[in-house]
Amino acid sequence: MIDERSCARDHTVSHQPNHTLSSFLMALRRSTRFIDGSIPVQALLYDDEELLASQDGVGIYDGQQKAPNHQSGIVYISTHRLFYIDALNELDHSFTVDQSLVLQTEYYAGLFTSSSKVTLHLQRNSFDQTDAAIANGGWVCDVCGFRNPAGLSPKAASICSLCGVPNSSVPSASQHISKSLPTSPSASPAPPSDTSISCPACTFLNHPSLLSCEICSTPLPRRPAMKSAPTSRPESPHDDDDDSNSTLVLKLSFRKGGDKPFYAVLKRSLKGKAWQVRQSVGNTSLNGCHEAGRDAISKTGISGILRSVQCSVQGEQDHLTDALQDLEALMAKAKDMVRLAAELNEKLTTVSSITPSFASPASSTSVLPPPSATEPEEATFIRSSLSQLGLHMSNAPVTQDMMKDEREWMEELAKELAGVLQGTSGSTRTGIMKDRGIIALDDVWGGWNRARGLIRLSHIPALIPPSTFLQVIPLLPIYTNPNIQTRTLNSGLTVLHTPPFSPAAFASRLAGFISLTAPQTTIDIAMEEGLSVSLVKEMVEAVEADGHIVRDDANAAIVGGGGVGGAQLKWWVNMFEGYMWDGHV
Amino acid sequence: MIFTTHTTKSGFLLPSIHSAPPFFTEQPNPATQAIATDHWIRLILGYARHRKLFFLKVEDAETSSNDWDEVLKNERINRKVLPSHLSYVLEAMVKKNVAVYEPSKQTRTVMLYWRTPEEWAETLHNWASSTGQLTTILTYYDITDPPVESELTGIPVPLLKKAIAILAKAGKAQVIGISEGEGVRFFAGN
Repeated sequence: MIDERSCARDHTVSHQPNHTLSSFLMALRRSTRFIDGSIPVQALLYDDEELLASQDGVGIYDGQQKAPNHQSGIVYISTHRLFYIDALNELDHSFTVDQSLVLQTEYYAGLFTSSSKVTLHLQRNSFDQTDAAIANGGWVCDVCGFRNPAGLSPKAASICSLCGVPNSSVPSASQHISKSLPTSPSASPAPPSDTSISCPACTFLNHPSLLSCEICSTPLPRRPAMKSAPTSRPESPHDDDDDSNSTLVLKLSFRKGGDKPFYAVLKRSLKGKAWQVRQSVGNTSLNGCHEAGRDAISKTGISGILRSVQCSVQGEQDHLTDALQDLEALMAKAKDMVRLAAELNEKLTTVSSITPSFASPASSTSVLPPPSATEPEEATFIRSSLSQLGLHMSNAPVTQDMMKDEREWMEELAKELAGVLQGTSGSTRTGIMKDRGIIALDDVWGGWNRARGLIRLSHIPALIPPSTFLQVIPLLPIYTNPNIQTRTLNSGLTVLHTPPFSPAAFASRLAGFISLTAPQTTIDIAMEEGLSVSLVKEMVEAVEADGHIVRDDANAAIVGGGGVGGAQLKWWVNMFEGYMWDGHV
Repeated sequence: MIFTTHTTKSGFLLPSIHSAPPFFTEQPNPATQAIATDHWIRLILGYARHRKLFFLKVEDAETSSNDWDEVLKNERINRKVLPSHLSYVLEAMVKKNVAVYEPSKQTRTVMLYWRTPEEWAETLHNWASSTGQLTTILTYYDITDPPVESELTGIPVPLLKKAIAILAKAGKAQVIGISEGEGVRFFAGN
């Protein structure tokens, strides 16, 4: 706070040709504050402040003159302030400007060797008292007792973020300022913050923070005690009282370009007026809520509390979404990881197969040497790590044994399933398919697992997962007699069936049945076959699709007709096939 | 199951398949339905020729007591053609060029070509020459409703016009505008 004055004075004193110019040369001294540029800018931000853009290679003009100590640095722009971090001496020559002081901006595009510049017309910095609030950290509101957190921007910190009442301790805090500003001692005495204001109409003693009477709403007289305005006005340093109304000029010279986007950001930030009192409702700086809260005028009272709740909920949601996104990203990476592991494994395998003599010449002749025998210790370690991670490689030799085992296992399972379906010889138990020539896959699976629950084979897990079940199914024809085949019907229903229920056998049997007796409904056929109606319906329709039978719809009846479900359909042998015209010629 | 042929009151011999109930149901199997449709077309054209019917409407399957009763219904097996089925058959007939939607731009009524327009043109020219009416100007009415009944009696005007157009193209006829509308004059041709 003090250093910037001294460093600014260096050149303002040396370049004071006349009085009019001197008013411009004050810009650095008057409107900026020293900061320690060695601290990352992010750490200097208020809690409710956001960094918007930055540009390096920027020089500073104080008024019309170059500021000798600020000729090359990075300019950061945030929602509240501009930061200049000097590239040469970041510790001593860095400063910050509040955007609230910017009255006007100009843009100069540059000409030949002249760099493009952004001119800022600045108000005199009043270094308002609320800096003290930051120095003090958090404060407790007199009115509602809310503990306001530290780290907010000055304006935001000056008002209770819950009830909106100004911080009553602020005027008294100006005494702290006098310590930091030795050249401008506080002109006004510290106001008695606890003095109540008597209402001229009803004489009610109002809290000094109130502007109108709490009881009758009569405007209260402005007591000299309310020093909010005086504290910010007459404290200007004594030597510049004459030009207190003039503006100060600060120019940013963009020596490395980037001026246009920077100026656009600056304009937008100035328009946004983020530094105006804008309580951070969710005081933990919820970004999403800042967006929402920016245009809301009042954030106090119950609505403020509600919004705060809303914001925290939204914040939680955001965190959750982030976390899920991270998880998804991780899952996406997992594939790569597996691939990498596979490559690693392959490399290890090739290395160990190329140089088997290195480790053990005796076992080099074997096709699949045990990994421990031939591979270096590291490779074994990597392999075991991989397998610990669950990244088993199907092409790795270690798992080839497993594959062989698995095949054997599948065959065992297929034999067992065959037994369950057809009944094992020498056993009293009958198979599921003894009386049924055709059975849906889900029935088989359920029946098999029930049977396994009874058998309790010790060396095989008791229940069979559907995926394994589906792998076993294709092996069934080998181990069943008569062969049990799989068939997928039109609806997607998969069934197991014995030879008499193969499509061709069923079609010919059906045709024979119909032609021997009479046209049949689906229900009749289901009864004849001893199968469920829906299954028979699918099978019959499959036969129809093959053109062996045709349908007669009772809806085509002249009198009566119609029926429920499949009752209205009767199946006939296809009489169109091979029909010779015997009608009128 | 054995189906038998049946002779209707109008003396038309219905094919045996007309006694098969599935014949009246639209079959989902496209191959089966294609066979049935072919039989239907043959039956319809044959009956139209027998009865000199020129038009078949979807409504004929919805109403009773019309010219098509004997074909579209079979009282003996309690079956009739459903309108949707008939509509499908009509569409197939138009596709096969044995019928045409008349009037055009609708699909409810077809004009049947149990003789093609070319055959009608020949018939027309033969009739004109055999009745000694070559070079005579005839109105359409003279042709469709001659004093002595002919093959052309009752032919619909749209079909007649098509036949005349074919003759005119061959130089055997000439369309002439007369007081009562349009007339036609036939020539001997080459």
